[in-house]
Amino acid sequence: MKQITIDPITRLEGHGKIEIFLKDDGGVENVYFQVPELRGFEQFCVGRPVEELSQIVTKICGVCPGCHHMASGKAADAVYGVKPPPTALKLRELFYMAHFVHSHIAHFYALAAPDFVVGPAADPAIRNIVGVIEKVGIPIGSEVIKQRRIAQEIQALLGGHQTHVVMNVPGGVRKGLTPEQRDDIVKKAEGFVDFAKFSMNLFKDVVLGNKDYVNIILNGPYALKIHSMGLVDERNQVNFYDGKVRVVDTKGKELFKYSPNEYLDYVAEHVEPWSYLKFPYLKTKGWKGFVEGQDSGVYHATPLSRLNAADGMATPIAHQEYEFMYKTLGGKPVHNTLAMHWARLVELIYAAEHCLELALDSEIIGSDLRTPLDKTPSEGVGIVEAQRGTLTHHYWTDPKGIVTKVNIIVGTTNNHAPICMSIKKAAEGLITKNTEITEGILNMIEMSFRAYDPCFSCATHSLPGQMRIELVLKDTQGKIIRSVKRK
Amino acid sequence: MTSGNSVLVLGIGNDILTDDGIGPRIIQQIEKETFPSLFAFRSASVGGLEILEMISGYREVIFIDAIKTRNGTPGTIYCLSPDNFQETLHLTNLHDTHFLEALELGRKLEMDIPSKIHILAIEIVEDREFNESFSPEIQTRFPEILEEVRDYLRQMIRDF
Repeated sequence: MKQITIDPITRLEGHGKIEIFLKDDGGVENVYFQVPELRGFEQFCVGRPVEELSQIVTKICGVCPGCHHMASGKAADAVYGVKPPPTALKLRELFYMAHFVHSHIAHFYALAAPDFVVGPAADPAIRNIVGVIEKVGIPIGSEVIKQRRIAQEIQALLGGHQTHVVMNVPGGVRKGLTPEQRDDIVKKAEGFVDFAKFSMNLFKDVVLGNKDYVNIILNGPYALKIHSMGLVDERNQVNFYDGKVRVVDTKGKELFKYSPNEYLDYVAEHVEPWSYLKFPYLKTKGWKGFVEGQDSGVYHATPLSRLNAADGMATPIAHQEYEFMYKTLGGKPVHNTLAMHWARLVELIYAAEHCLELALDSEIIGSDLRTPLDKTPSEGVGIVEAQRGTLTHHYWTDPKGIVTKVNIIVGTTNNHAPICMSIKKAAEGLITKNTEITEGILNMIEMSFRAYDPCFSCATHSLPGQMRIELVLKDTQGKIIRSVKRK
Repeated sequence: MTSGNSVLVLGIGNDILTDDGIGPRIIQQIEKETFPSLFAFRSASVGGLEILEMISGYREVIFIDAIKTRNGTPGTIYCLSPDNFQETLHLTNLHDTHFLEALELGRKLEMDIPSKIHILAIEIVEDREFNESFSPEIQTRFPEILEEVRDYLRQMIRDF
């Protein structure tokens, strides 16, 4: 048996790696995607007042701190059995839409676009955001930086800090908006909508206008027939901040819908001896292994799964784009992994439109920011959609509100099994007996997991979405017979 | 504060992840000390496009980041620049874009990127465990590490 190792950063200790084991005939035997473990988070939280956690959790991950802050804030509300007033809820959601805008812009232009605008097999030295800007023009590059910065400014204004957010308190938020601040956000949100629409049109021109790219999306080794999870509102439309978690099966039929406090009835975690990170699966289906299909317990929680699990988008332009995507791809649900990029842009439009809606809402400048706490704290669950999947925070406290236990299922962890399966499928499709392992092949394997926008910072501290990888072909004695290294 | 004449000293890392937060913790310490207004001190937990925006407008920037190399001696400070850049923990592990790409992007977009970039990469021991304290090795060496960073800044003042 030969072994191929894709090791992201060989000079550093303890980072994630992909190992591809080849059969003697050159085909793929198995693939292992391993990420290292972070230790002691629960222990770190236990003994602290529950209201402190929403600030601590922003430090678990530098990539999606706002998501942890929101899930934690909701869990603390639940611990105290309190519902924030409408103004507080809208302020939280406004913050959260800005968080999605900045994150989805970054993913599209820095991680997705290089593969399509520059090309999947292009020289890695130019297959990056700089290469994208070379192709689409400097004014667009400046706009990417500007729109991200504006989204960060809104987060900093509402959250006290763009990364280490201090917005939420049990039952509400710390501060409100002045009418002048609101007016400023309205103008900024109008800019988001324009830029989101522009980005979608760019995608359509560059990707949908290129038969080869459409072929890769539809017919490449990038489809996974698994169930789809996503948070929905009472009309079953996509919601990032609140609602129930809906899961549809591989044919698009609703399997179940659960409230945050019921998550343990529906989701369980499988353990493999070769991975620190667990593999969540649908409890009702059971763990059947890394397999696709209607009977499998594997699901994904991604922009695409959110759209699959919903009946539509809650804002007009996003809904139009939602319908166009499904019409173009042959109906719901869609199982093509690379369509996650398209779904992410539909979500970007939704986040921008909803940001504008919230800023225009008269309640957003209200002064009722917090519901008084009058119940004894005990236990609570908060669920939001992080950019990278459904994020669950579950806290237990003593009657004084001191944390006694914590459980967190982070967005990307939901996708751990699908990511492993997608990498394997891509490797199987791209590496056969006489395949010459080129940079292009390497990148096309990497594309299979990059579509998930993976961020293991929360659970594992670091694994960049854009890996710089080394692929090593080893013989059965472990001797390197060939390597391809990406600088 | 941003000024075309000032030097940004930027500590990067997570201060609740044992040694990972050595950059921000150095900043916490030295920003309380007396240094000329030439220097601005800041901390950050992430790299990529956000770093690009943070450093924009400064004449020079000094990153203080953690690094883990095989068989490295804890507390060793490596002085790097974009020309001999090695993967430090936060300038490398970026969700959106790599540090060198971010710099190239900034220059291409004609942003006001510092003309000189210094990277002080400190060899650490533990960055996988949530803890507000350093590992024993780094705790012991921390006063010397701080003094080396102070020396570096003093030397910059002399050369400026």
